[in-house]
Amino acid sequence: MEEELIGIKNAALSFILEAEDLRSLEETKLQFLGKRGKLTLAIKEVTKLAIDKRPAFGILANEVKQTIEEALEEKGKSLSNARKTNLLEKIDVTNPGIKPALGHLHLVTQAIEEITEIFEKIGFIKVKYPEVEWDWYAFEALNFPPNHPARDDWETFFIDEKPHPKYGPMVLTPHTSSGQIREMTTNKPPIKMLNIAKCYRRQSDVSHVPMFHQFEGLAVDTNLSIANLKGVLDYFVKSYFGKDRVSRIRPYHFEFTEPSFEVDVSCGVCKGKGCKLCKEGWLEMGGAGMGMVHPNVLKNCGIDSNKYSGFAFGWGVERVLMMKDGIKLDDVRTIYSDRMEFLEQF
Amino acid sequence: MNIKIVDSWLREYLDTRESSSQIAKELSLSSVSVERVEKVDNDSIYDIEVTTNRPDLMSIMGIAREASAVLKNAKFNDLKTKTIPNSSTKFPIEIKNDPKLVNRICAVVLEVKIGDSPKEIKDRLENSGIRSLNNLIDVTNYVMREIGHPAHVFDFDLLKTQKMIIRESKRGESVTTLDGKRHELLGEDIVADDGTGKIIDLLGVMGTANSVIQQDTKRILFFIDNNNPVNIRNTSMSLGIRSEAAILNEKGVDPEHCLKTLLRGIELYEKIANAKVISEIFDHYPNKPRTTTIIVDSEKINRVIGVDINPQNSVEILNKLGFKAKRLGEKIEVEVPTIRADVRLDEDVIEEIARVYGYHNLPSIVPTFLPNKTLGFANNFYFEKRIKNAFKYFGFSEVYTYSLVSEDLFDGPIENAVKLKNPLSKDLTYLRNSLIPSLLDVTSDNKAIEEFKVFEIANIYLKKQNDLPKETPMLSGVLKKKHASFYEVKGVIEQALNDLGIKNLIFKKSQKSSIGASIYIDKDYLGEIEVLDTNIIDFELNFEIILKHATNSKVFKPFAKFPPIIEDISVICDAQTQEVVNTIKNQDEKIVDVTLKDTYKESRTFHIVYQDFEKNLTKEEVAKIREKIVSVLKKTFNATIKE
Repeated sequence: MEEELIGIKNAALSFILEAEDLRSLEETKLQFLGKRGKLTLAIKEVTKLAIDKRPAFGILANEVKQTIEEALEEKGKSLSNARKTNLLEKIDVTNPGIKPALGHLHLVTQAIEEITEIFEKIGFIKVKYPEVEWDWYAFEALNFPPNHPARDDWETFFIDEKPHPKYGPMVLTPHTSSGQIREMTTNKPPIKMLNIAKCYRRQSDVSHVPMFHQFEGLAVDTNLSIANLKGVLDYFVKSYFGKDRVSRIRPYHFEFTEPSFEVDVSCGVCKGKGCKLCKEGWLEMGGAGMGMVHPNVLKNCGIDSNKYSGFAFGWGVERVLMMKDGIKLDDVRTIYSDRMEFLEQF
Repeated sequence: MNIKIVDSWLREYLDTRESSSQIAKELSLSSVSVERVEKVDNDSIYDIEVTTNRPDLMSIMGIAREASAVLKNAKFNDLKTKTIPNSSTKFPIEIKNDPKLVNRICAVVLEVKIGDSPKEIKDRLENSGIRSLNNLIDVTNYVMREIGHPAHVFDFDLLKTQKMIIRESKRGESVTTLDGKRHELLGEDIVADDGTGKIIDLLGVMGTANSVIQQDTKRILFFIDNNNPVNIRNTSMSLGIRSEAAILNEKGVDPEHCLKTLLRGIELYEKIANAKVISEIFDHYPNKPRTTTIIVDSEKINRVIGVDINPQNSVEILNKLGFKAKRLGEKIEVEVPTIRADVRLDEDVIEEIARVYGYHNLPSIVPTFLPNKTLGFANNFYFEKRIKNAFKYFGFSEVYTYSLVSEDLFDGPIENAVKLKNPLSKDLTYLRNSLIPSLLDVTSDNKAIEEFKVFEIANIYLKKQNDLPKETPMLSGVLKKKHASFYEVKGVIEQALNDLGIKNLIFKKSQKSSIGASIYIDKDYLGEIEVLDTNIIDFELNFEIILKHATNSKVFKPFAKFPPIIEDISVICDAQTQEVVNTIKNQDEKIVDVTLKDTYKESRTFHIVYQDFEKNLTKEEVAKIREKIVSVLKKTFNATIKE
C-alpha cells in the first residue's frame, strides 16, 4: 500500500513536470486529486489496513498530497508566467493604440480661456451683456458725438426696429465697450470687469470679419492712473505673449477714453531689434485701444468723476491670437473657416 | 487718416538737427504714429497716421508745431503771409450763403497764366502722394498740404451769371464732377447754384466739370470754403468720393485758417503763375469759433498721470504745443487755440502734458484692489467651459458660425426674425433663431468627410415687443456617420449633463420632428434630438436651462452595509422602456435601480437591484417583490414575462 502511494506520487510528479500548459496541468490535478482521482481513491483504501498501521499511512498520504499540491502550484506559476511572456512577445509596440475620442475646442475658445485666466488672476470679474444693444449703451453714453462715423450706416449694423424713446436705435454691438456702461450702471466702484463677447462691424477683408470677438477690461476706483493702466498692459503682454516681451503705449484717440492709447508689443521674432516682420522692433496691436475712462462716461453712468477714475481697454481676440508666435495665420477670415481640415488642427 | 509729409518741406517750418528717423520715433511715441519713413533722392517722406480728432495735424504746419514740442532743442517757425494786397476792384461775384452750411468763405479773383509748376513744387506734391496737374490746381493742393485747409479754384470766365447761391441739394438733382463722373444726389449736399438752378460746385468734396480750370483758363476765382462737416461726410460717403478735401472737411477744419490759406495761395500764384490780383478779397465769416480757457489743478495732473510733474514743466509743454498756458499758484490756466477744438476738458489738457512728458517715463503698477463683485467658482462660465470640454473629449469639434444668416437659414416664418436695416450681404441679414441650419451648412461644407461630430454654443435671438431681443445661448451639435445612432447622441447628452450634476433628464417622443426626442429636465423643456436621415443626427439644447439646473454641490451617500440582490427579468410588451422602468421601480422601495440591460428581438431584459439598507435581504423577500412586479407588468402592459 505504501509503495502504491509512492508510485502515485512519482507518477503525478512526472505528469506535472511534462505538463505543457495550464489546461493539461488542470487535467493532471483532476486525475490525481479530483473526487475520483488516483490519490483520493488510494487514500480511501485506508479502511482495509489494520488499525495500528493506519496512522503511518495517514502521515505518508498527507505528505504525498502536499508534495503533489506544491508541485502543481509551482508548475502553475511557471506556466502562467510563460504564458504572459508569450503574449508579450506577440505585441508590436509600434502598432497604433486604441484611442479614446478626442475632439477640438475652437481656436477662439482657447484664446478666450487663456485671456480669462490671465485677467482673473489679477481680480478681474467676467461678465456677460447683450450683443444687441441700444445706441445709448453702444455710443451715446460712451461719449460718441451724434455725427461720429461709427454711428452711421457704413460702419455699424442697425436693427430694423423702432428706436427706444430714451435709448435710441437698436444696434449690433460694434465693440465690447457697451459692457462698460452696463457694468457701471448696475454696479458700484470699485470695479474690475472683464467682458469677452461677439462684436459686429460692417466690413470683411483680410483683417476684418463682420463678426469677431473682443475682450474688454474696465477698472474703476479712487486714484487710478496711467501708471496702473501700463501695469495691467505689461502684465497681460508678458502673460499672453511671453515673459521676454515688452509693451509700450502711444497717443491715440478714442471718444470714451481720455487720454487714449494705442499699444505696441515688442517683436517676438527679432526680440525688439527690428526685422522684416515688424516696425523697428515693434508690432502694432491693431484695433487695440485703451485709455483712462472719459469723465463724461463716468458721469453718464452716475459715477462721480471727481472721486473716481478708471481705465479701460478693448482688444480683438482674433488679433492677439494672430499675433502669437508661430501661429502663422495671416487672414482673419480663416479663423471662421468651418472646414474640418482647419478645425482639427488645433 | 494717413498723410504723407515731405521732410524738406517740414524743415521749412521746423528748426531741428535731428535725423528723419529720430523725428519719426519721437512723433510716434508722443504725438502721431509715423508708420514709415521712405527715402527718395535727397529727401525723406513720413507716412503718418493722424487720428480723427486731430485734423489740425493733416498738414506740414501742424506736424511742424507738434515736432517742435516733442523734440529736444527744436523750434517752430510759423508761416508768415504778407498783408492783404489792396485792390480797388469790387469782388465781382454775388455770393449768397446759408450759415448752417458754410462757416466761412474767403475768395479772390486773379488773372493768371496757366502752365506747369516748377520742379520743386511738382516734386513736393508728387512725394506727398498728390498728382501735379498744372500750376493753377497745384497751388490749391500745395496750400492744403502746407496749412491743412482745402482750397478750390474755378475758371472765373465759366461763372457766367456771376452768382453763387449756396444751398442744400435736392434729392434727384445731378452733377458731373471734375473727374467726369455723373452723380445723382441724395439731398442735403452742400452745392453752389449759379442762380439758374445749375449746380457749379459740390462744396468741400469736389468741383464740377462745368466750372473747373480749362486748358486756356485766363482768370480764376480762388475759393476757400469752410463747411459743415456733417453734410460733407454724408456727401462723401454716399457718392463714394473720398477726396483729400472731403476727408479733411468731414473732420472739421479751422475756419481761422481760411484767410491765411488764401493769402499763401495768392503769394504762390504770383510766384508760379504770373498772377495779378484783380478783385478785392472777399471774406464772409458768419460762424467764428470761440477760444476757451481751462484751469487745471496740478494735483489732478499728478493723480491721473501717476507721477508728480513740475507745473512749470507742464506750462512749457503746453506753450510749445500752441496753447497759451500760465501758472496760477498750484493751478495752470490754459487758453486753447481754435485749431485745437478737440481740447475741452481737464483730461484733454492732461493728455497733452502726459504724452509730451513721455508715457515711457511712467512706471508700470498693477492695481491690487479687489472689486466689489464676486463670482463664485461654479459660475456659468465654469459650466460652459466644463461642458465644452466634455464634448471635446467625446470627440466633438467646436465650430463658430455667424450669428447672422440668410432667409434660407432662418427657422420658421421670416416675419419673426430680428432683421438688419443695413446688412452687408443677403447671407448676413437676419439674426438666427436656431444654430441647426448653420451647423447643417458646416455639414454640407464638409461633404467629403464621412464621419464627424461638431458642436457650438452661441446665442439665438428672439424678437420682443418694444425691447431688445431675447438672447438665449444654445448648445447644438451634429453627428454625421454611416448608420448614425440616436442612442449615441442621447448618450452623449446624458453624460455631458451628468457631468454638470444634471441627472433627471426625461426623453419623450418628439412632437416637432418625425423621428427624434424632446428632452426635459423635470418640467423645463430643454430641446430636441432630431434624426435627419440614416447618417445625420442633430440636437439643440437651451443652454440657459442647462445652467439653471447645473450644480457643483455634492452629497455623500453612506456605503451600503448589506449586499444587494441583483436579478434580470425579460419582458415582452409594447410599452416604452421608461414606462416599464418607472412601473417596476414604483413597486417597492427596496428596488434601488432598474436599467435596460439588453434587447433581443421584441424581448427586453431589465436589470433590477434590490437593496435593504437596514438588514440582509432574504431570497423570500425578493421573490415576493418579484411576484408583484410580474403581476403588475402583466396587468398594466399585457406583458409576457420570461424569468
